[in-house]
Amino acid sequence: MIRVYNLTYTYEKGRSPAVKGLNLEIDEGEYIAIIGPNGCGKTTLIRHFNALLIPSVGEVQVAELNTRDSKSLLEIRRRVGMAFQNADNQIVGMSVEEDVAFGPGNLGLPAAEVRRRVDQALEMVGLTGLQTHSPHTLSGGQKQLLALAGLLAMEPKIIVLDEPTASLDPEGKKKVLTLLKTLNLQGIGIIHVTHSMEEAALASRILVMNQGEVVADGSPGDILRRVEWLKSLGLAPPQITELMWQLQQRGEDVGTSIFTVDAAVEEISNLLERLKSARKA
Amino acid sequence: MYKLGYIFLESPVHKKDPRIKLIAVIALSIIILHVGFVGLLIASAAALVIALLARIPLGSLLRTLHPVLPFFGLLFLLYLFFTPGRPLPLFPIGPLLISHEGLTLGVLQVWKFLLLVVAASILTMTTSQSELTMGLEQLLRPIRITGVSSHDVAMMVSLALRFMPTLMDELELIRQAQLARGANLNPPRMSGKIRAMSHLAVPLAVNIFRRCDELIEAMEARGYQQGHRTYLRELVLSRSDYCLIAGILLLLITVIVT
Repeated sequence: MIRVYNLTYTYEKGRSPAVKGLNLEIDEGEYIAIIGPNGCGKTTLIRHFNALLIPSVGEVQVAELNTRDSKSLLEIRRRVGMAFQNADNQIVGMSVEEDVAFGPGNLGLPAAEVRRRVDQALEMVGLTGLQTHSPHTLSGGQKQLLALAGLLAMEPKIIVLDEPTASLDPEGKKKVLTLLKTLNLQGIGIIHVTHSMEEAALASRILVMNQGEVVADGSPGDILRRVEWLKSLGLAPPQITELMWQLQQRGEDVGTSIFTVDAAVEEISNLLERLKSARKA
Repeated sequence: MYKLGYIFLESPVHKKDPRIKLIAVIALSIIILHVGFVGLLIASAAALVIALLARIPLGSLLRTLHPVLPFFGLLFLLYLFFTPGRPLPLFPIGPLLISHEGLTLGVLQVWKFLLLVVAASILTMTTSQSELTMGLEQLLRPIRITGVSSHDVAMMVSLALRFMPTLMDELELIRQAQLARGANLNPPRMSGKIRAMSHLAVPLAVNIFRRCDELIEAMEARGYQQGHRTYLRELVLSRSDYCLIAGILLLLITVIVT
């Protein structure tokens, strides 16, 4: 779906590139998390996925469409939706439904089709009933859901999110993350840039970036258990994984591919069970 | 919150196409500049009937006059004292002179301006902001020949309206942040007041530019391009709507010509 060949991007001439020599393939329907310290090039990379940035060197292709080709621009942006950290600055409509209608309107769809897509998108994110509300009256979480509805109304194949939960309360976070999971199950690809390892653990593939390069690419099981390595990059593994890792360091017999409280409870009960039976024997 | 006073109601006036209402208000403002007392009386009666049809509470309609009253009061006094003509009985009192002409002209002009404000208020109270921008976009279609797209103009208007409450909130945040750092935002002297104002305006302007960058990026990411686009609703004029517009224009021409 998205192919990146030898991508290098430099913001200003003479400065060191923000991403360098990057190669990447992303298939349809994948759920990918991108993690890495600040300034590692995550944001630069994802801005290439819908042609907001054009490579200095190399190529980016979205479903065979090259982002350098200005004729495919609208089609690329229709297929790859992008949500940013600050939802407030992405909302352009004076009411909820008008904001969702912005994307389909840009595609030049007839009013009846715009209406159908707006209703459908609002239904998907659970904002039905707020159609005529002013965006200003929504909570932070609702604004982010509205921003997502605006993307969904364009019926994208992939949604790219740049720290969508950074300024949300736990309730809002949960809603957005649940929605991402649901959308992914419906076949929409998700690319989620995040600082939270707990959120990254929800993906099926994690890319770790550092200094403009992808330094690791694998399943959460592969990546998140490398506790010391993550720490050396300035990243914190999920606390629950670190707990398991510290237990393991102390010589307890536990795995470290554990990212949720539920999985940890399971693992620790098993350990206790084993200890009990060992004592009896 | 900033809402231009739109009151959502089911009424024949609310349901009318925003273009008709815009044309009517523009026509009215031209007409009343050309008429005398009788015409003004008829126009005011018409405005009253429309307000009643729209089921606007008259109290809230009059309240919209509140902010402009001091200005119009001053205007009235200027007309009253500075129009030459036959003096009223008892005048002149010392240097003060009030003429018949001054009194009539003052009442007439202030009445005209008040009626204009009332008409504009009826428009904004019966038409939502989005309807207004859509109406504006369609009425401005002919400016295409100048190379400007009416879609772009409508987009600008609607963004300005959309960000008004956001910027109000932001201004309040900046004010509190400055107060928290010990700023005196209401100093006694004028020079100090201006300096205090800049302590609010400069950070606000910087924030607006930053917001703008993000907004443009988000709009581009959603496929925004200058020029043609479609909307959630389409405005359709019925035959009776066309008749109404023709009637308004006919009235306008008659008044101007006679």
